[in-house]
Amino acid sequence: MATTRMATIPRRHARRDFLKKSASVAAVAAFGTTRKAFAAEPVNIGGLYPVTGSFAQIGQGCVNAAKLAVQMVNDAGGIKSLGGAPLNLIVSDVQSDTTVTRTETDRLISGYKLSAIHGCFASALTLIASEVAERAKMPLLTGSSSDQLNKDRHYTFTPFCRASQFALAQLQMSKLVSDAPKVAVIFENTAFGTSTSNGLREQAPGQGVEIVMFEPYSAGLTDASPLINKVKASGANMLFPVSYLNDLILIIRAIKQNSLQIAINGGSGGFVIPDFYKNVGAVAEGLLGVAHWNHDVNADAQKVNAVYKQQHGEFLFEYAGGLVAQTFMIADALERAASVDPQKVRDALSTLDVSSGYAAMGPGGRVKFGPDGKNIYAHPVGVQWQHADLAAVFPKEDARAPIVKA
Amino acid sequence: MRRFTSRNTVWICLLFGAVLAVPLFVSNSFAIDICIRILLFAFIGVAWNLMGGYAKQLSLGHAAYFGLGAYTSTILLIRYGVSPWIGMLVGGIVAMLASLPIGALCFRLRGPYFAIATIATAQVLMLLFLKFRDFAWGAEGTTIPNLGDAPLMMQFEGKAPYYYIVLALLVIGLVVTYCIERSWIGYYLVAVGEDEDAAEAIGVDAQGIKRNIYLISAFLTALAGTFYVQYIYFIDPNTAFSFNVSVEAALVSIVGGIGTLWGPVVGTVFLEATSALLQSWLGGGHGGVQLTVYSLILIAVILIRPAGLIGIVTEFYARLVRSGAATAKEVRLDA
Amino acid sequence: MLTTVAQAVVNGLLIGGIYALVSIGVTLIFGVVKIVNFAQGEFVMIGMYISYFLASSFGIDPLVSLIVVMPALFVIGVLLQHLLIRRVLALGDMPQIFLTFALSLLVVNVALLLFTANYRTVQAPYSETAIHLGAINLPVAKLIAFVVAMTLSAVLWVFLHATDLGKAMRAAAQNRDVAMLMGINPDRVFSVAVGVALALAGAAGALLMPFYPAYPLVGQVFVLMAFVAVVLGTLGNVTGALIASLMMGVAESLGIQFVGADSGLIVVFVMLLLTLALRPSGLFGGRSR
Repeated sequence: MATTRMATIPRRHARRDFLKKSASVAAVAAFGTTRKAFAAEPVNIGGLYPVTGSFAQIGQGCVNAAKLAVQMVNDAGGIKSLGGAPLNLIVSDVQSDTTVTRTETDRLISGYKLSAIHGCFASALTLIASEVAERAKMPLLTGSSSDQLNKDRHYTFTPFCRASQFALAQLQMSKLVSDAPKVAVIFENTAFGTSTSNGLREQAPGQGVEIVMFEPYSAGLTDASPLINKVKASGANMLFPVSYLNDLILIIRAIKQNSLQIAINGGSGGFVIPDFYKNVGAVAEGLLGVAHWNHDVNADAQKVNAVYKQQHGEFLFEYAGGLVAQTFMIADALERAASVDPQKVRDALSTLDVSSGYAAMGPGGRVKFGPDGKNIYAHPVGVQWQHADLAAVFPKEDARAPIVKA
Repeated sequence: MRRFTSRNTVWICLLFGAVLAVPLFVSNSFAIDICIRILLFAFIGVAWNLMGGYAKQLSLGHAAYFGLGAYTSTILLIRYGVSPWIGMLVGGIVAMLASLPIGALCFRLRGPYFAIATIATAQVLMLLFLKFRDFAWGAEGTTIPNLGDAPLMMQFEGKAPYYYIVLALLVIGLVVTYCIERSWIGYYLVAVGEDEDAAEAIGVDAQGIKRNIYLISAFLTALAGTFYVQYIYFIDPNTAFSFNVSVEAALVSIVGGIGTLWGPVVGTVFLEATSALLQSWLGGGHGGVQLTVYSLILIAVILIRPAGLIGIVTEFYARLVRSGAATAKEVRLDA
Repeated sequence: MLTTVAQAVVNGLLIGGIYALVSIGVTLIFGVVKIVNFAQGEFVMIGMYISYFLASSFGIDPLVSLIVVMPALFVIGVLLQHLLIRRVLALGDMPQIFLTFALSLLVVNVALLLFTANYRTVQAPYSETAIHLGAINLPVAKLIAFVVAMTLSAVLWVFLHATDLGKAMRAAAQNRDVAMLMGINPDRVFSVAVGVALALAGAAGALLMPFYPAYPLVGQVFVLMAFVAVVLGTLGNVTGALIASLMMGVAESLGIQFVGADSGLIVVFVMLLLTLALRPSGLFGGRSR
């Protein structure tokens, strides 16, 4: 039967095959699969990312990774239980804006026959998308860390660690650097910042860490010097900025300018993307942070990283790598549901349990969702900037490189 | 000022009937969403127009009242379980009360000074709400609880009910504007708008008029704020006090026809339709094209036709009516 | 404690210098042309991008790029006045305000299309170094920016008070009709005013590059502060704008230090509202409208 199908490939498919090949030789070679004729209806999945606006650099990277992931799934044969149906990614730009996120999520869900969606990087945006998805009964996967995403929801699934877990990891890492850590926490005041910082404040006493400064700030700093001045005055020997890229750049520079000798744990967010290093330069070397995914977690992650690096010239960063895994989780759910109906996909996701393959390439190596949509095996990795790249250095089980002391 | 002849009334009734019937024919959720947004911003524009169009007080800070309305009803809903229907009215009253000191402060200034002061007040409110997390959730904002279908709490599963609510708001706004336009307040308003000093010289209580119209404008804008929260399920200071809301309120009135009854409606239809078309045509990933076009339209209108697009509409309407009437003299259209 | 305060004041003054360059431009345009240029921030942004591209393509230091940036923006200013502003001068408040506002929207979004939203930074040799006066740190890049900003302001002052063209501008600002009667060509004067204002904005942009990233929306941040400074310092008063900008920089810095890191802007706006309540025509009153 396969032969008959092959013989009747329409010219359109042949040309599309050719284009795909010439655009992604590396992918095909790396994953060693043969091209198949797509005789089945594509399965639509939605990707909502901030391609423009203040999170644009990250959003663009996410979209690149999302496309790569879909391609990988399709090259491996698509969804076999649906007759080899390929995934079709429909991307929407949420413009780093909450209102646009609301309308775009709505538009995507009502305008296309979707089976699942993933997005939006920034917790503030994901919270909205998740509300809309919840009411539309559409399953949503996300790597956003806000703990709010697991409250009162049945359609939101978070395969990676939560902000409170980031906080704990940061606190534990601070003890590696100093015996009596006195931490200054400065955080951007939207969902990402408040979630993480709350986690820090709640868990610090239990970890024997003293928080000497706890300051929210309005994202979009013109000048980080006043903030750093305050940090200096607080007597802290460690700084935890919870920030997106733009502010981090200013903060790091201000620290240098004010000759402030202080250990930094840059957290996640804007800290763990290639653009951070590009903008801050060698000052970033040796800085510690945390991430919910890193490309050296296991061999599968490294493979994807290699392909992405070849296509886009920079390493596969935290959120982007995570969403490749998410795409495979969706594929797995589709496979088991053998249906494109979002409700069935949602149910399949709730019973997901993978410990191998690209779906499970996160820290912990296993994905299984609890009743609140949290992956019970998720935990963060501590990372460090080494030679213009990020290496996982904490905890011991996940460390792929030794910590470089400053 | 168009008088309501029987012919006009017929047209308006037909138009209204068509508008009422829209949700029955349009089932695409996104299309209804566009219609709702059109009606909502037309309403906000109408509210703004009272101040900015008739009284010529160019406020670029109306988002202050939008946000106050939105937050009042949300706080009452989440913290005290009060229905947003009541919350909406309370929000309107809060906005009215706020407009008194704000007006007292800003009305001392004229022209661009006034505009900058209004921008500042909206910004201050945003900053306050960003900072105070205890009663208003700070920068994180909050979503309203998912009550499914709860008409008494202004939540519905489908989009059609929202459509009718905002349509009702728009009708209220238009009726209020129409009544003011026709009354002595309306004449005084225009006098103050044209030349405040001259108006005062002939005995018009300019300060009082400005204060009163501000009260009404703030009240209406606040109603829109409540509706918006209930519709998008979410509120945060950046959305509620967004400068974009202030701008769009003024924009639709200017593009449509400032100081006219239907101007804001015409302007909104034109701008939102263009915007929505662009968005679905270009989809995601082409950041900037939409707003580029938007701004070019605005510049074009300002340079070529500052009185707004409504001139085109009235001309079209006049031609339509004239072509049908045998005795054209009977229909008097004062543009 | 004293060093903390002193450092806060220094930080405020340094960034205040940049605010000054932007606000002087706004107040100059308002004083002479009687229009509030809502797009002023976008010209700062353009200045930043010109500087960035000169740095990344030819390795030219942002300070050196001033030589290119300022004349380029002067020309843009003259064109702006001639092609757009001139047309709305007679139309009244609404079209004037919305024209520059629409312009702002247009420039931001065209920049978004051309350059994407990615942050561009320039690493100059002095980007991260600082001079230490006792316990006070003076970041070199900001210090240079401050000094240049003050110098440009001084040059402008001399221009306005000691040259014929400058005096003509001040005359037109005080009373356009009488100035015309005296033989001053308003169109020419306006063009120069707008040109100079935009050149200053562009300079602010170039000066910012060593320590601040360029991205399409960057202007909006600075223009907000500039507006407050302009109103505070009395619309149309160049010295007023300068002083007010410095005050605001310091107020913001002290606000962040002692009220809260997210309170810098609140302090500034409260200053504005208090001024409006008590002295609506600004701190340097008199020449109010």
